Amino acid sequence: MSSAEERTGTAVVETVETLGEPPKRADQVLAKRQRRVAYGLLAPGSIYLALAFVVPLIIVVITSLQSGGLLSGGYHFTWEFSNYTDAFSQYKAFYAKSLVYSGIATILCIALAYPMMYWIAFYAGRWKSTLFFLILIPFFVSFVIRTVQWKFILADDGLLLGPLKNIGVLPESFHVLATPTAVIAGITYNFLPFTALPLYVALERIDKRLVEAAKDLYASKFQAFRRVVLPLSFPGIFAAIILTFVPATGDYVNSSVLGSAKTTMIGQIIQTKFLTEFAYPEAAALSVILMIGMLILALIYARLLGTEDAALAAGTAG
Amino acid sequence: MTQERHEPAPEVSGALMRGLTQRRMSRRNLIKLGGATVGTISFASILAACGGGGSTGTGGSTENVDFGAAAGDKVNFANWPLYIDSAKDADGNRYHPSLQEFTDKTGIEVNYQDVINSNDSFFGKLLPQLQAGQDTGWDIIVITNGREFTNLTLNNWVTELDPALRPNFDANAATWAKDPEYDPGNKHSMAWQSGLTGIGYNTEKVNGTITKMDDLMNPDLVGTNSVGMLKQDMPDVVMINLGITPTESTPDDWREAAAWIQKLKDSGTVRTFYDQGYIDDLNAGNLSATMAWSGDVLYYKLWEDYPYEFVVPDGGALLWIDNMMIPANSANPQGAYQLMDWVYQPEIADMITEWVAYMSPVPAVQDLIAQHAKTEKDPATAKALAGMAESTLLWPDEELLAVTPFGTNLTTDEEREEWDSIFLPLSES
Repeated sequence: MSSAEERTGTAVVETVETLGEPPKRADQVLAKRQRRVAYGLLAPGSIYLALAFVVPLIIVVITSLQSGGLLSGGYHFTWEFSNYTDAFSQYKAFYAKSLVYSGIATILCIALAYPMMYWIAFYAGRWKSTLFFLILIPFFVSFVIRTVQWKFILADDGLLLGPLKNIGVLPESFHVLATPTAVIAGITYNFLPFTALPLYVALERIDKRLVEAAKDLYASKFQAFRRVVLPLSFPGIFAAIILTFVPATGDYVNSSVLGSAKTTMIGQIIQTKFLTEFAYPEAAALSVILMIGMLILALIYARLLGTEDAALAAGTAG
Repeated sequence: MTQERHEPAPEVSGALMRGLTQRRMSRRNLIKLGGATVGTISFASILAACGGGGSTGTGGSTENVDFGAAAGDKVNFANWPLYIDSAKDADGNRYHPSLQEFTDKTGIEVNYQDVINSNDSFFGKLLPQLQAGQDTGWDIIVITNGREFTNLTLNNWVTELDPALRPNFDANAATWAKDPEYDPGNKHSMAWQSGLTGIGYNTEKVNGTITKMDDLMNPDLVGTNSVGMLKQDMPDVVMINLGITPTESTPDDWREAAAWIQKLKDSGTVRTFYDQGYIDDLNAGNLSATMAWSGDVLYYKLWEDYPYEFVVPDGGALLWIDNMMIPANSANPQGAYQLMDWVYQPEIADMITEWVAYMSPVPAVQDLIAQHAKTEKDPATAKALAGMAESTLLWPDEELLAVTPFGTNLTTDEEREEWDSIFLPLSES
């Protein structure tokens, strides 16, 4: 049905409604009303997303196809697809490095957050909210400030390594800063709440009686966890991975503060292109490549694991 | 917030000079914490810049401003943080005595704001207005010679100055500040303050002394993983030390410099390449030697008794100048120009330089500081002032100037693309 017909339909219904016509149409009237309410509820968010996300995105895509320079009359839209091929071939190593760093950091985040959230959700009792809040407290401090603090802690002669070097546990030349380890540790630390939150939500809502039931059926503690708790928390793990991995890949603060020239991530390249070189089209092309790449990875991931997890979880729950 | 941290103590005391030199350091290091902040702030403006979509033409003004016309009653002045003299009045309000005198004399009010944290991000913010041919809201901006400076001059995004109307500049400006290669005849700019990029090192972490750039790739001297390099200044400093004059350099010279940097990287001494913030790593003991801005190192050496030295490598160092300019379509170019010339009076320049401790473009200030040192009651301040007056790094002589040329001035997009393709991969991988 075309939108024009639909509009006419609505008009008819409204007329009918005002006339207080036959009740057989009441259901439809209600449905229409509900739909209107639904659209009304959707509107603010949709408008916001359109303005704050879709429009900038379109601008970025347009920019990525421009050519020119600040000294030759500015940038002009010319369908310059070579921006993409140039950018990708020149910087593919940085994409790969970013994926590796954020991949490792995501695994570490899950490994750290899951046991913690599991314990809080299952055993913390009335302290649940307090403990969870305590985990989030450091994250009320600015992201950048926290990362810079790590620089002080990890300095070559700093709080951590200084004493260890003094007592001879570590060689004088040992260092953590300016290594991939420091960058991955920084990302892990900074993105932990994004992992913790969905895990907590998923674990917290698991019906504890299911675990008891499993144990009644002679499941060991480990079996109960593996066969009941873990599958039920899969949606949380799924969300946690997406929420951690995607932003971590584009991160540029951790590497610029804690890393070295050898740890440069794609976010830093984009930043330099945008803010230092004013090479807007190339920076935009790099951003679009990153976005599409992440989208493809997320879709593959959702296809392979997401639905299956959901089905599995549902099946187990049912 | 970083600015707050470095706010000077309200009283003028022996601790004054400590604050002064720190100010100089802060100005360069201010965004060391703020990579993210800067990115966030500028993103909106960049989108706006790109929003022009298809045609982002140059919105510069080609009409010359009549500087003989009457000035407006207000000048909006954008500068780097902690880069001017500062004091508190009886009510505890902060003001800038050098600018106050200007207002008293001319009746022109100065709205002075320390909003420039880096050349690139500030330029990025102004770009949309500049391209649209609108007033940027600023009558004076301070930009270092380099890429952004050239963007402004070549696109006519800054006002052409009338050389007949700056008597103080003509009478008092240093030779190095007059007719610089990057702006012949000071057609668009006049120096605010200036500085050098050379090598700073920690004498306790270096086995011996550093005298040349090649020393940075000697692990026996500087250790491994302990040398810092400055991304933006590195190509020029390296070229200068290879005997290449940056302003006359060709892509082949750039590749020669890149080869040297690659050799340095291969030597295993380099820790990382910095935009800013190298001084923190030097202080934390993470670096033994680093490319450095003279003022940062001197501050810690003189006022904090750190075992630091600053050297001009035997091949030379890089001279850079922060320049006052009037953006195109400024609301009050006449008032701005009066102020730009005002600060070239020796006694006004003295007020500024005693506070910021940079290289003053007015050589007469050296004597004024020396005199002030003799009459100053507080011994610590007197010693500091005397030290400033004697520093060869603040008052470069012919000999020093001969080995401290300006950096490369890239004037076409193609050159820049080639330059970036040579140097960006080096500092990023």
